[in-house]
Amino acid sequence: MKPSSLLRLALAGSRTDGLRVALTAVSAALATLVILAALTVIAIPELGDRVNNERYVNALLDEPGLRGGTAITLILLTIPILALAGQCARLGAPARDRRLAGFRLAGASPGQALLIAIAETGVAALLGSGAGTAVYFAARPLLDLPGPDGRLPLPTDVLPSPVAITVILVALPLVAALAAAALLRRVVIGPLGVVRQARRTRPPLPWPGALILLGLIGTGSVLPIWRWYEARQSQPPDWLIVPIAFGGALCAILGVILGTGWISYTTGRLLHRFGRRPSVLLAARRLTTDPWHGGRTFAALLACVIVGAGAACMRGYFQIMRNLELAEMVDDSGRFVPSTDNFYLATMNLVDLAIVVALVIAAGGLLVAVGEGIVSRRRAYAALVASGVPRGVLARSILWQALAPVVPSVVLALVVGTQLVGPTIGDEVQNYNRSAPYVLPLDTIATYGVLAVAAVAAAVGVGLLFLRGSTAVEELRTG
Amino acid sequence: MTILRARGVVKSYGLTPALRGVTIDVAEGEIVAVTGPSGCGKSTLLHCLAGILRPDAGEVLYGEHRLDTWSEKMRARLRRTEFGVLFQFGQLVAELTAAENVALPLLLAGTGRREARTAAVQWLDRLGVADVADTRPGEMSGGQQQRCATARALVAEPRVLFADEPTGSLDSRTSEQLLGELVRVVRDQRTTVVLITHDATVAGYADREVALRDGELDPSGLGLTAIQGRHKR
Amino acid sequence: MSTTHVLLGLLAAGPMHGYELKRSHDQRLPQAKPVAFGQVYATLGRLQRDGLVTTSGQDQDGGPERTSFALTDAGRARLDEWLGEIEPPAPYVTSTLFAKVAVAVLVSGEQRAHDYLVAQRAAHMDRLRALTAVKADPASSLGDVVAADFAILHLDADLRWVANTLVRVADLHREMQP
Repeated sequence: MKPSSLLRLALAGSRTDGLRVALTAVSAALATLVILAALTVIAIPELGDRVNNERYVNALLDEPGLRGGTAITLILLTIPILALAGQCARLGAPARDRRLAGFRLAGASPGQALLIAIAETGVAALLGSGAGTAVYFAARPLLDLPGPDGRLPLPTDVLPSPVAITVILVALPLVAALAAAALLRRVVIGPLGVVRQARRTRPPLPWPGALILLGLIGTGSVLPIWRWYEARQSQPPDWLIVPIAFGGALCAILGVILGTGWISYTTGRLLHRFGRRPSVLLAARRLTTDPWHGGRTFAALLACVIVGAGAACMRGYFQIMRNLELAEMVDDSGRFVPSTDNFYLATMNLVDLAIVVALVIAAGGLLVAVGEGIVSRRRAYAALVASGVPRGVLARSILWQALAPVVPSVVLALVVGTQLVGPTIGDEVQNYNRSAPYVLPLDTIATYGVLAVAAVAAAVGVGLLFLRGSTAVEELRTG
Repeated sequence: MTILRARGVVKSYGLTPALRGVTIDVAEGEIVAVTGPSGCGKSTLLHCLAGILRPDAGEVLYGEHRLDTWSEKMRARLRRTEFGVLFQFGQLVAELTAAENVALPLLLAGTGRREARTAAVQWLDRLGVADVADTRPGEMSGGQQQRCATARALVAEPRVLFADEPTGSLDSRTSEQLLGELVRVVRDQRTTVVLITHDATVAGYADREVALRDGELDPSGLGLTAIQGRHKR
Repeated sequence: MSTTHVLLGLLAAGPMHGYELKRSHDQRLPQAKPVAFGQVYATLGRLQRDGLVTTSGQDQDGGPERTSFALTDAGRARLDEWLGEIEPPAPYVTSTLFAKVAVAVLVSGEQRAHDYLVAQRAAHMDRLRALTAVKADPASSLGDVVAADFAILHLDADLRWVANTLVRVADLHREMQP
């Protein structure tokens, strides 16, 4: 197949396919920006070890020891972006699969059909990475604002190596195309239509709970291990602590995400048992027959909630530390000497910023998923409306179906997030030979929870705006 | 000369047997009508002969080659070079124009876009629908769509054309037009045709008829719109 | 409507009075016009003259309706010959086909009827193909095409009836032989 033909076939599509390409490009652009930012941070030259470079306002960029953490956090931001991209890839999938089956019937081999499918993703990602790089270069001079002491707020005086930039520009589309191929591995595109390998039809089991426990045990053991080493006058090696901490956190997060299936299913059964109204019963039945539908859409959101809860706990800790420090200052010199070195809290501000950004991206993915869900089910919904189900009942059932499993999932995520960090902090905070009891910042934690549920409700609400159009009787036409 | 041969072909969908051992020979250049009541396995037989499906047992021979042993990739290649397929509906890709649809087998085989388009427009012209070359299938009538599909099936100048109820969704006048032109073209090109139909007036366009019933050959020829009796013979 | 051969067929089961023949005819072929006594007797007379039936039974004094008639060997041969023939395919042959199928079932059972139907169907299909070729031929005049259409559509109707009957022949057999 000639490349120009491949391109034409890959980009043949309706409005929904165009939307998918656009969203994939946007995700790729975001990912490129974030990776370039991380590369820029890594490219800041070393001018000494553990000594401030006095170049940047923020110590996170200035101190070599902290830069690694900053770069890693930036790279971690690619995860919600990937989740968004994954949601976007599902937009309009049935129509695209039918088109691919049509190609197969006309004589495309399975390899050619797969190539056409991933070429679309690759091209979209290439457009995105190009756009992201362009934005990066355009923003650099604009953000170059040195302060009165010559320090820069952002590393706009440093450029990653051209090799690195080119690699990202080329590698991102390739990776995107490979990821698309991996997502399609379960889909068999035959000439007579598409067959998706059947997913398991058993109700989900609560084994992710074990995963959560494992994760919590892991992170909970960080403090005892530290104490054990302390008692022996040494520090635990990095290669022991870091994997346990990170691995534990990862296990717990995975456990929460994978547990949404079981939560949805059980919620469905409870609603079915105790529900009376038709909207509730409709929602209950849909939850039990397809418990994974909702889970996929707000997985990224849950991950953000867990991290947010953990961050809130850390912020609480730092706040108490700060309070102790301030109390100490007042005592010593009799007057209040505010220290400008608000380092930890400022760092937490940035961490919170990162979490909010991730949350926004996750909410974007959620919106895409909810919209796609409603639009792809429109025949079923239109049939329901045509057979007499009032649109109001249908709308309420969609809300129930979305929110009923979300609330327990978010609560679980908050608890897990808190428990991941809490045991490491302990009951008392000590600073400057003072101590204070550690109090969970419940208000911040609760805020995160409310925000997450509100985001889901808002996304579903917006999606429901499409419901009226989607359930018009014309949807039932066979022509 | 026999160009296509099926020997004892068996195919089931899950537990439901569709073909129970069908043997059929198709000579080069002839038009064979495969008839039978709905559910008798005619479409399955066509799919097995065209290499779209692999039989569970038995042999399918195209010339000297055992199609049933070929890989999906090789059978797909056959579909874009030597076989043409024409179905009742649903085979044009909705997002491409008529000319692009017709050019599809050529494009997939590696022909350049300009060359493929020229061939496509020529065939659309031959079938009398050159004026819809740049419209999408959604904007055409059923008859026009089927003519475009026919053009696509013939654009690669196949040796065998497989047609599954090509006029099933058309009214009788449009049907007659399409069949008339189809027969004219295939006689010109000496293309072999395997045509599935349950309509006697369509089977009348063929040189001979093969009847199936319940997945087997039926020499009595029962089944041109036979009602299903409540008693089995 | 080849009453001749129908009567021969009805007599194949055994001798019958004239009156019984008429009743049997109307009963077996309910869609046909009920045959008039006059036609029955006239036909019987002809058959007797041609040596295909003879009179048997004693009630000579009762008139033709009381006379019983029986099939001769020649008559049987003629009947077999008729049952083996295919009706030339043309529009409006269905009533003849029906009579032949009914008689075939009566005389020799399902298999014979089945074989006949299969052979008749093949003849119909051949004719259909020929007519379709006429229709598709660019040299045919409009009149040719119109005539071909007419014949094709009626042949199609006949073919559908043949197909249905093949399915029903078993039941037909059971009904014909009480």
